[in-house]
Amino acid sequence: MREEQKKTIKERYEQSLQKGERFWPDSIFKDVLMALAIFVLLLMLATFVGVPVEPKADPSDSSYVPRPEWYFLFLFKFLALYGQIPLLGKVEWLATVLIPVIYLGALTLLPFIDRSPNRYYGKRVFAIGIMAIMVTSMVSLTFISDVPTTSTDAVYLPGLLQTLGGLVVPLAGYFLLALMNFAFKKAPAKAMIWTTAVTVLLMIGLTAGTVALAPILETVEVEVADTLEEQIVAGQDLYSVHCVECHGDDGSVTVIEGVEGLEGTQVMAINGRDVLYTLNDDSMAEVIAYGRPDAGMNPFGRAYNPEGLTKSEIDYIVIFMRYAWDDRYEMPPMEPLFPALAEGEAPSYEVHIAPIVKRYCVSCHRAGKDNLNYLMTTYEEVLTSGDHADQNIIAGDPQSFLLLTIQEQTIPDPETGEEMIGVMPPKKALSADIVDVFLRWIMNGMPETAGEAGALSTMPAATATP
Amino acid sequence: MWKKLYAWLDERLGLNDLYKATLDRPEPKGNWWNTLGSASLFLFLLQGATGIFLAVYYTPSPDHAYDSIQYIMTGVQFGWLIRGIHHWGASLMVMVVFIHMLRVFITASYKYPRELTWLVGIGLLLATLGMGFTGYLLPWNQKSFWATTVGTQIAGSVPFIGEFILKALRGGTDLSALTLQRFFAAHIWMLPAVLAGLVGVHLFLIIKHGESQFPARED
Amino acid sequence: MPGPHHISRRDFVKLTTVAVGAAIGAVIGVPSVAFLISPALRAGSKDAWAPIGNLEDIPVGEPFAFSFTRTQVNGWERTATNFGGFVLRKSEDPADILILSSRCTHLACQVSWQAESRVYVCPCHDAAFDVEGNVLDGPPPRPLDVYDEFQVDEGGNLLIHVKEG
Repeated sequence: MREEQKKTIKERYEQSLQKGERFWPDSIFKDVLMALAIFVLLLMLATFVGVPVEPKADPSDSSYVPRPEWYFLFLFKFLALYGQIPLLGKVEWLATVLIPVIYLGALTLLPFIDRSPNRYYGKRVFAIGIMAIMVTSMVSLTFISDVPTTSTDAVYLPGLLQTLGGLVVPLAGYFLLALMNFAFKKAPAKAMIWTTAVTVLLMIGLTAGTVALAPILETVEVEVADTLEEQIVAGQDLYSVHCVECHGDDGSVTVIEGVEGLEGTQVMAINGRDVLYTLNDDSMAEVIAYGRPDAGMNPFGRAYNPEGLTKSEIDYIVIFMRYAWDDRYEMPPMEPLFPALAEGEAPSYEVHIAPIVKRYCVSCHRAGKDNLNYLMTTYEEVLTSGDHADQNIIAGDPQSFLLLTIQEQTIPDPETGEEMIGVMPPKKALSADIVDVFLRWIMNGMPETAGEAGALSTMPAATATP
Repeated sequence: MWKKLYAWLDERLGLNDLYKATLDRPEPKGNWWNTLGSASLFLFLLQGATGIFLAVYYTPSPDHAYDSIQYIMTGVQFGWLIRGIHHWGASLMVMVVFIHMLRVFITASYKYPRELTWLVGIGLLLATLGMGFTGYLLPWNQKSFWATTVGTQIAGSVPFIGEFILKALRGGTDLSALTLQRFFAAHIWMLPAVLAGLVGVHLFLIIKHGESQFPARED
Repeated sequence: MPGPHHISRRDFVKLTTVAVGAAIGAVIGVPSVAFLISPALRAGSKDAWAPIGNLEDIPVGEPFAFSFTRTQVNGWERTATNFGGFVLRKSEDPADILILSSRCTHLACQVSWQAESRVYVCPCHDAAFDVEGNVLDGPPPRPLDVYDEFQVDEGGNLLIHVKEG
């Protein structure tokens, strides 16, 4: 830059200072107001939106789909799109290292690349155009980062739109602008502005199209237990499903009965001090994860069994065992398993039956266990599955098999007279209030939702019928 | 009486000279776009303050990191607020710093004599992204763990020295307690030191050259 | 008055200060850098045979997922790193087995088997591999890694040879 240009710049700056304001208090006033606005915004976000709860890191659960923080999503999507390019797309370091380094390098050395003294927007259409396309590209890549790049379908329109909007159109835009700026030196600013505008609008359109046509992905809902009470309940539910068979619902079993292949096997009572005082939480978690193969216990952890429990789930089971059976820990006040029924109130599946079934029935009545094919993990299964589906649950009928078996009556085979279905649950009878819930539920026609049950309830205090 | 106190301090601290040098300066006519720089600084200080308070309860070990944060959220008075501000403040800072850079680009304020200010600014941008990346691992939840696994894998894709970079970042071949520990050290000491130093230089240059004016047709 | 071979006092002092500063910098700096990158200079773990399942439990013709852990000492902590893969029994012959690693060859995310479309899919950048691990689509530069050294012991357990992590 020539000395006279520098002089001009300095003079123009001096002039602008004359016509300007004071740093204190004018600039600082605006700065403080902005700081206040930001602070209030953060307070609102922290209070009303909060921080999303994620499950604990589980190095053994590699089925998790990794995603970077939002400000890196554009890079993440760019890598996926880049991988679609034939040949070049296989050289990953071009996309992970070379291209970002080139961009960053250009950005860093900008004052040395762009040495002209022009500052006015109208004289810098090329630079501003390139930046506009780049920023639009980063934003649009962020928005489409969740849309799969490819699909097993033959024609995958969102994939095509992504490639166009993410790679082809911006590249074309850069190329055209460069052409106009360097080849046709006197290209009118208007042409370059139009090129930029069309490129940006096309990219926005293609992004919107991609998002609109994106296939709806199945998301697996993972429940994260946040408080101690939630963790104990989660642990108890998991224990009731996976562990009760061998260890009993109170952990006191010392000889296994009724489990195929392990009949008569001796085990330590896991609710006793011999186990609880000598094993710390990590050891207990390892026992659950790895199992005790020599003694007959399968691995339950995902590190050793791909279909197994996650680290968080094992942690919840250990927490439950600690607070339920270790006398050094005091169980916090817990909510009851289901809300007590008022006089005349009809129970519903979702509020009353589901937690009861999860706690007491599902450990046997799930796929892969010996249960005459009667599964109880969903509403439909409870009503319609099993070898005796037509007799298990009949609305309004107290002779339904389910009701008989939970009231300690066995069901004989009509032809041979031998016991076909035994008393349920086989080891320990349900308490009277739980039996009452089932009775009321089946008598009222097995409503599924709380709303349906509410409509059926007959409350003693008269709601005067209109 | 306050006047006497002020005079006493002024003789020893040079308050008046400080005032003339830093505060009592003319600036070109500015608008709200000019607040982005100080907003970035404000966010940095806010993150630093909330971060220091979080460090009173947080443990950087895989055994305790997650639980210590759960304790902060549910067991510490206003812990949820401090952590919430820190969490959202991080995202906001990345956004504000980036928009600030865009503004400087569009008004071409990086040109003579402010080229060094721009260079330092890019350093600040990279350090901010580094803070985000290192801070992101600290909760040690599924998102953190796997995002860092992929992130360090990307660093490892550099030709020739990639393997070395990956091992240096992770403290070994896989993510472990060493990874969490060094990311924590980087997040609370090394990168903040770099940021503070660069911010100092950035502010010095801004005071020296003054805020640039919005370009007019003749510029 | 400095002569042709004489150095002025001021220059001497400047030179010595810089030299001493550089020496201090080196003595602090070199160990510091080594301190920071020390884990990167260590060699990896040794190899081992890892059991991944019993042949009886592995069906023929369909990829069967397995996982195992290797424990490495990282610093002061024993870290159990989890590895996974898929076993494909192509026929009843116990030697006719293809064992693939589940680590995507692009950037090391874990692939999962999609039974309906018969492809391994990587969730990170949408890579796809066929049942033998060859790349069908996406950025991976090479097919899935194969555990080619395996053996079956007397009890029918399948073991794979795992080399340095």
